[in-house]
Amino acid sequence: METIRNYLESMFANLPNTPEVMCAKNELLSMMEDKFTELISEGKPQNEAVGIVISEFGNLEELAESLGIESVVGGAEISERRLLTNEEARNYIYDAAQSRMLIGLGVMLIIFSPIFPIILNDIGAALLFIDVSVGVGLIVWANIRMSQWKFLDNTLCCIDYSTAEYVYTAKKNNMMSKALMLTIGIMFCIVSVVPVIIFEGLFSAKDYYYVIVGPAMLFVIVGIGVLLIIASGAKDSAYAKLLSLNGTGTVAGNYEAVRATKEPYTDKKKAAEVMSVYWRTVTCIYIIWSFISFDWHITWIIWPLAAVFNGIMKSLFNTKW
Amino acid sequence: MIEISSDVIRGYNDTMILFILMEEPSYGYEISKKIRALSEEKYIIKETTLYSAFTRMEKNGYVESYSQNADNGKKRTYYKITESGKNYYHEKCLEWTLTKEVVENFIRGDK
Repeated sequence: METIRNYLESMFANLPNTPEVMCAKNELLSMMEDKFTELISEGKPQNEAVGIVISEFGNLEELAESLGIESVVGGAEISERRLLTNEEARNYIYDAAQSRMLIGLGVMLIIFSPIFPIILNDIGAALLFIDVSVGVGLIVWANIRMSQWKFLDNTLCCIDYSTAEYVYTAKKNNMMSKALMLTIGIMFCIVSVVPVIIFEGLFSAKDYYYVIVGPAMLFVIVGIGVLLIIASGAKDSAYAKLLSLNGTGTVAGNYEAVRATKEPYTDKKKAAEVMSVYWRTVTCIYIIWSFISFDWHITWIIWPLAAVFNGIMKSLFNTKW
Repeated sequence: MIEISSDVIRGYNDTMILFILMEEPSYGYEISKKIRALSEEKYIIKETTLYSAFTRMEKNGYVESYSQNADNGKKRTYYKITESGKNYYHEKCLEWTLTKEVVENFIRGDK
């Protein structure tokens, strides 16, 4: 039955999303379902039943009049859309998740960087720069890796019904681990100051633990926390991106899977423009501030603050960037 | 084997559907099954043909649709013939008799 459903959905994918079209699709599906069920109950093998149902479906041209549209061939505007195959969708998710991990690791390394001057005095400064450069390198590499998918933003694309279903299921299944990683990440950021506080209480101001271990641990914990926060959204944003490809005016844009993930419409264009450069700006500020003041022990605070601010903005505009 | 050309039968899909609805209200698949059985498997109506006939006839007021749960609990759209549908059916019957008479005059069984 899944095959029949996919067949029908692909026939209808490019049609405008009107009540007439929806009604016709439901009615035709119902008829096909009845026929399929009966063929199966007569003892026909699955494949044969599917074949019969599809061969007796007819052609969409006949429906043009009932659907209140001039022509159903191609559906001019939409036939321009590039169909993303199921395999491409999977590859995209894989690449996007990996790049996000790389970015996470890069940011983590940058956050780790002040540890070196803290632990090792002279050579530490050199290591700091090496570490930052590796971190930045990872971020750049991640962006280059993703450049092959630029066409998703530049060209009109769409996904078919079965891919949408697949992505939606994967998205739902990923919810738990996403929330878990995010929560743990935030907790890490919050508890990062605990070692410092404890060692402050336990040891004198000149003690090894007070000056070195406490601050160093702070960066380690924050770094891991930020990595978790960034990685938590890795797959989810890829899923959301794929589900947002289908044109809203078409049947394909109205798949249950697509609709369920669609954010309510808000006047978010301006906000989205600002937010598109948000993280880059934050990174710039962080690097400039850090290198000018060399207060690496304080400047990291920009990351958790930026994350919180981002969260507030998101909920204010009720949208995703 | 000779198959019915869809051009020829097109004008009479409505007649077949209305004939079945004269007995009792029915739904998509049941109607297509009955057409198939009554034609002794010689004519299988396509789903799209059936659906476009339904919407066209509903627009012309020959049938009315309503949804009802079938025996297995599935929600289906049922179609019911109207008075004007019955009139239309009778007209079509007369039209067919005439058509048959005319065309018959030009048919030769031999080669």
